[in-house]
Amino acid sequence: MSKTKHIFTVVILSLLGVTLLVNFDKLPGQFEYANSIYHHITNNGVSETGSLNFVTAILYDYRAYDSLGESTIIFGAVSGIVLLLSRKTLPVSSHGLSFIVKRTFGMLTPFIFLFGIYIISHGHLSPGGGFQGGVILGAISIIFSIVYGSEFDYKRYSPTTKTLLETSGALLFIGLGLLGVIMGGNFLVNLKILDSGVGTLLSGGSIPFINIGIGFKIGAGLAIIFYSMIQKTFKEEVNL
Amino acid sequence: MINNLVFVILFLLGFYAILVKKNLIKMVIGLNIMEGAIFYWFISITDRGGAIPIVNGTQVASQMNDPVPQALILTGIVIGASTSAFLLTLVIELNKFTSSTNPDQIGGMIED
Repeated sequence: MSKTKHIFTVVILSLLGVTLLVNFDKLPGQFEYANSIYHHITNNGVSETGSLNFVTAILYDYRAYDSLGESTIIFGAVSGIVLLLSRKTLPVSSHGLSFIVKRTFGMLTPFIFLFGIYIISHGHLSPGGGFQGGVILGAISIIFSIVYGSEFDYKRYSPTTKTLLETSGALLFIGLGLLGVIMGGNFLVNLKILDSGVGTLLSGGSIPFINIGIGFKIGAGLAIIFYSMIQKTFKEEVNL
Repeated sequence: MINNLVFVILFLLGFYAILVKKNLIKMVIGLNIMEGAIFYWFISITDRGGAIPIVNGTQVASQMNDPVPQALILTGIVIGASTSAFLLTLVIELNKFTSSTNPDQIGGMIED
């Protein structure tokens, strides 16, 4: 890089930094409105949604429509990546790691799966939810590919299964939304189908079902992304 | 304020990577650093020093942090992960056709 361009970059960056700092100092501090949405949610959120976790209540009840758009973005990204990378669907073999690592993860993987399911199903009671637990489920496919080789991943958890899981998660989400319309409410209204008392596992209306749908969708989507990328990355190893 | 200073430093670091680095993967990393700076700043300015917004029996509702920005940032993190994955896919494809991750070299190849 030439010297003038370097000086130009430094000047631009320092001007931007000074502008941001000066303007941020003029922002108001902790502003408080008497009738803000914060007071409504913290005071009525539990009785309206049955969810103890207010972030989950916002994501899957008050603004479930936004979460639907968000999962559509994931679907678009996965579709684009598969379109670009997956022209060959042959299994590509990497040899995996040593015997000790394979045995260790053979014992660990069921518990990782259990932890992911726990995070998803307790999303309305504790920190977590469909997105966070889905990432943990997606890690299992990455473990299969790295530790056991991607041929194992292809056989045990094939791309067809992954696509099926992702699509069924999305369909569960949209189906719950349409069920709300059929039962006389709005799209994605909380159906109150699980209602055995606030604070129990089977509570929160349709929030746990949306969590499960999102969890499988995100987990399978991440597995598809990783599989598509690793397939091309290790392509040279097959010819060895 | 320390929040604003950390935000500006992280944001400029990411912006510097996008402007100066000659490697497309490093530019994607710079974009991710900028995203992380924005998420950090948004969470930190809406922190009123309260508890996490989850009812567990002992917490008073008025002592909680605002759950709305946290839900917004959760959305933002997921979208950021999707866009990073897609950008890295484009870099992989470009590297397959041009055997290079330098944007200047790739631009020269396309003109020919």
